[in-house]
Amino acid sequence: MAAHTKGEDVSDNVETTIVMNGDAAPATCEAGTTIGLPDAVVQARGVERDYGQGDALVRALAGVDIDLQRGAYTAIMGPSGSGKSTLMHILAGLDRPTAGSVWIDGQEITTLKERALTQLRRDQIGFIFQTFNLLPTLTAAENITLPLTIAGRKGDQDWVEELVKTVGLGDRLTHKPSELSGGQQQRVAVARALASRPAVLFADEPTGNLDSRTGEEVLQLLRHSRDAMGQTIVMVTHDAHAATYADRIVFLKDGAIAHDCGRLGRDDIYDVIKSLEDA
Amino acid sequence: MVRIAWRSLTAHKLRTILTVLAILLGVAMISGTYVLTDQIDRGFKQVFTDAYKGTDVTVTRQAKFSGQLTGATEGLPEDMVKQVDAVDGVAESFGYVAGMGAVAVDGKVVETGGSPTLFFSYSPNDIAPPQYIAGRPPEQSGEVAIIQKLAQDKKLAPGSSITVITGDGAHEATVSGVFKFAAQSSLGGSLLIHTTLADAQSWFGMEGRLSEIDVKAEAGVSADTLAKRVRAALPAYADVKTGAQAAADQTKALSDAIGAFLRPVLLSFGGIAVLVGAFIIFNAFSMTVAQRRREFAMLRALGASRAQVLWSITGEAFVMGVLASVIGLFAGLGVAAGVNQVFQAAGVDIPRSGLVLQPRTIVIALAVGIVITLLSAVIPAQRATRVPPMAALQEGAQLPPSKFARFMPALAVVVAILGGLLIAGGMYGPGGTMVRLGTIAFGAVLVFVAVAIASRYFVGPLAAALGWPIQKIAPISGRLARDNSRRNPSRTALTAAALMIGLAVVVFVAVLAQGLKSSFIDSYDRTVRADFVVASKNFMTIPTDTATKVQSVEGVETAVSLDAQQVQAKNGSLPVVWGIDPNAIERVWSFDWITGSDAVLTKLGTDGAIVEEQTAASLGVKQGGTIKVTTVEGKEATLEVLGIYRDPMMLNGITVSSSGYAALFPTPQTFMVVAKAQPGADLAATKKGIEAALASTPTAEVQTAEEYKKGTVDLVNQLLMLIYGLLALSVIISLFGIVNTLVLAVYERTREIGLVRAIGMSRGQVRATVRYESVITSIIGAIMGIVVGVVFAWVVTTRFAGQGITFSIPGVQLVVFVLLAIVVGVIAAILPARRAAKIDILEAIHYE
Ligand SMILES: Nc1ncnc2c1ncn2[C@@H]1O[C@H](COP(=O)(O)OP(=O)(O)OP(=O)(O)O)[C@@H](O)[C@H]1O
Ligand SMILES: [Mg+2]
Repeated sequence: MAAHTKGEDVSDNVETTIVMNGDAAPATCEAGTTIGLPDAVVQARGVERDYGQGDALVRALAGVDIDLQRGAYTAIMGPSGSGKSTLMHILAGLDRPTAGSVWIDGQEITTLKERALTQLRRDQIGFIFQTFNLLPTLTAAENITLPLTIAGRKGDQDWVEELVKTVGLGDRLTHKPSELSGGQQQRVAVARALASRPAVLFADEPTGNLDSRTGEEVLQLLRHSRDAMGQTIVMVTHDAHAATYADRIVFLKDGAIAHDCGRLGRDDIYDVIKSLEDA
Repeated sequence: MVRIAWRSLTAHKLRTILTVLAILLGVAMISGTYVLTDQIDRGFKQVFTDAYKGTDVTVTRQAKFSGQLTGATEGLPEDMVKQVDAVDGVAESFGYVAGMGAVAVDGKVVETGGSPTLFFSYSPNDIAPPQYIAGRPPEQSGEVAIIQKLAQDKKLAPGSSITVITGDGAHEATVSGVFKFAAQSSLGGSLLIHTTLADAQSWFGMEGRLSEIDVKAEAGVSADTLAKRVRAALPAYADVKTGAQAAADQTKALSDAIGAFLRPVLLSFGGIAVLVGAFIIFNAFSMTVAQRRREFAMLRALGASRAQVLWSITGEAFVMGVLASVIGLFAGLGVAAGVNQVFQAAGVDIPRSGLVLQPRTIVIALAVGIVITLLSAVIPAQRATRVPPMAALQEGAQLPPSKFARFMPALAVVVAILGGLLIAGGMYGPGGTMVRLGTIAFGAVLVFVAVAIASRYFVGPLAAALGWPIQKIAPISGRLARDNSRRNPSRTALTAAALMIGLAVVVFVAVLAQGLKSSFIDSYDRTVRADFVVASKNFMTIPTDTATKVQSVEGVETAVSLDAQQVQAKNGSLPVVWGIDPNAIERVWSFDWITGSDAVLTKLGTDGAIVEEQTAASLGVKQGGTIKVTTVEGKEATLEVLGIYRDPMMLNGITVSSSGYAALFPTPQTFMVVAKAQPGADLAATKKGIEAALASTPTAEVQTAEEYKKGTVDLVNQLLMLIYGLLALSVIISLFGIVNTLVLAVYERTREIGLVRAIGMSRGQVRATVRYESVITSIIGAIMGIVVGVVFAWVVTTRFAGQGITFSIPGVQLVVFVLLAIVVGVIAAILPARRAAKIDILEAIHYE
């Protein structure tokens, strides 16, 4: 699974010499972060997020700058409470920063009104959560097309069919989520998140509730969407194995970016995590 | 455990408020009924007690019975006063004539909203001295004194002119004075008029006679003793009572009228409201118990016993019941005032005393509120105790199904059959009216319960069908709403069932009223051949000479007077006897003969009668048989049945010739004159002519056949509106039920709502989803209500087909009810929809 396929592939610009599962040398990590990358679909500058007030003030994000390139598959890692989910929510327009700005596709979203944000989520962004991604009353197929239905659009039928094929649920498509396994449910969730061809797909620990085998199915599906369709992906994860699928890994600590790496193998990831914990 | 119950109540304030409201309104209706009727009772009691304050003994003519169309008795001979005066111990006595009629000012009848205009002859006396506030009592013929209210309303003063209309026509009079009656300026809507004795005797056909003699005892003679002595001195037909007894009897007669009608009617509306409330409480507790199953499981895991869990929930219900009853009790005071307003708006003015809150009212209100709440909570509470401690550990564990779940279909059938049997028993079985109505009502409640139990089995398909067009309009909101309403069929079913109850009664009444209206029109069209109907508003009498006046108008071919009074038959029933002109009736009336023909009319003579089918059946007579009747004065007569006809709406009872009628009754009591125009006559001009001929007696109103029919239909419609107004309460309560269900559903679906919002559903779409679910539920309720109401009405009309109510479905109204249900659904959804739209996406995602 090489990281270079189609012409428009920006990952060509990034040095990714690591072969998956390989035990390559700890590679291309920078302290802090790289900004000013070309063709950034998501840009964040000086993002801060405080919870509570006074003595109870928690600074979940303490000034994050980041650029995410179109077509990049980025993993966000870091210790529990480091602000991964908070960052993802703010990048996706689910939450507003206390300070700083975020742009998606060149549009500043931190100033958008509720209505425009809803539209943004509907048209530009795909989501996968750790659990509860599907509406229990709808069938798998209906869940996949849900974003299109919400938008009142037919959508691209060929695209939907391709997604359905990729998800590989076969005859289970007419089943309700309660009749699907966790892995199948998450695969449906991936397809659903891709249905409206979002500019960015955000996933918060999508494999957190799955065993390693079903988790693998989901990870491969995400990777495939990146490789075959050029989908931009941001994935928060605790799982080093999951992170090896990403082209870039951003490590958070105490609400700030500690390391910004290219592709890493599992052992390298462990090393970085350990170094973060020791620091 | 008490603390847990209390916490749970205060933690879910909205749910607590909605649940309390559900039962509170019913309790308020019940306590309001008692407060209002007690006030009316006491109001009347005051009036009569005051009126008879100085009177020790009263003498009237014995009445054999009393009915709504009971005529005035022949009264007492005028010289009986002398006989009374001669009795030892009598200090003073005076006689007077009383009668009913109307007054007109400037040619317009003074409306009393159905209350009577009462006339009393005035004789100077010290027993019940009237309190004159202006002028003096009438002294000469043509003078009348009027009650203060009339003077105020019509701006009359001594010297003003006024028209008095009695059974024998109109009389011009001059106001001589203005008085208060029994220290009251008015008597509800009733008007009081004083006249001279001679005028009253002539106007009411009581020449040489008196209606009543009032007596005052000498000092030291008790009223009882005097009554005994007077009784001994007078003939048997004289009814002698003490003043206190007379006051009590008259109060009782009116109170009984209220007790027999107003109280049970209002209480049944209260009962319906409580029943709806019970459904809602049952549903609310079922839902919260399901939501809190993990909490209960945890309590159990921590060592709480089943009984403790049970007590915690019933404790909650108890607190709610107490809250609802206490607030409801006091809200009842407001309801009493409100219902009185409704009556006044409908033109019924009832005297009331100040606030009356009897201990009985308090006890009933508290008992109903608390017992119903506890009963409705006990089944859900019992289910909560069956949550195994293990459930605390499992994600999404369901509430264990009721032990009886698999017997539910059978239970529904059994309850339905039982309800059906009770209804049948009430309709066809023996027993008094109240017992039978009670049996029917209980049967109806069981049918409601059965439908509610059964409805969970058809709510799913129904919701799917109803949701289909909605889904076409709004693909996503409609789709989700459709699915959501089917997710928990028994919850949707119960919520809809609460609305069903109110609507079923509404539909039932609407169908009956429709039947009444259409069979009235049908009956009228089949029998009445007249072009004009002369009658008073409010079924009061019109002057007896009306027919003669109408007959003399140019263009009128025939005018026939329809006189009516009640008699007592041997079986105790009080059929109406109609008096008609046997020679003329044929031309304006076409009898629907079952046996006999128009030929018998001229053979009626003085003791022949023709009988309406229903009356014949109830008296058990056939053609050729005889009927023994007793008049109100005790006159007995045997009528020979010459024919049987069908006319359940108009001449319902026994019809005799005018000579036969005159032989039975001292005064005619004319209710209606029907007239036919000459062939080719100009109807509009003829109507004008009749109006001109009757100008002096404005109580008699001329209507064309069409106007008369419309007027009667309007009357039914007015009554219908009154009933709808009272039923609105139940519909409002069921609206709270829908709100409650939706709020809980929204709460349960927090994460789902967060999810769809995260993937781009707008707030408007979320609101629409809740709204559509609400509308689906309310339409299901409407459909169930319409079906049940129509079936009830069909059963009742079938049973009472002979009494003239046909089964006729008011299509337009049913459509209006469905639209109304949709409005209810939309209103109920406002608050839950707003809550759903406000759900914070991030919180929802992290939720539990
Ligand atoms: N709603 C909130 N109110 C107060 N503090 C919050 C809230 N959400 C997050 N925090 C705090 O902000 C910090 C960052 O939280 P965040 O959820 O982003 O961490 P995370 O990196 O996703 O952790 P995990 O790996 O456990 O999911 C934490 O200290 C957390 O306690
Ligand atoms: Mg997190």
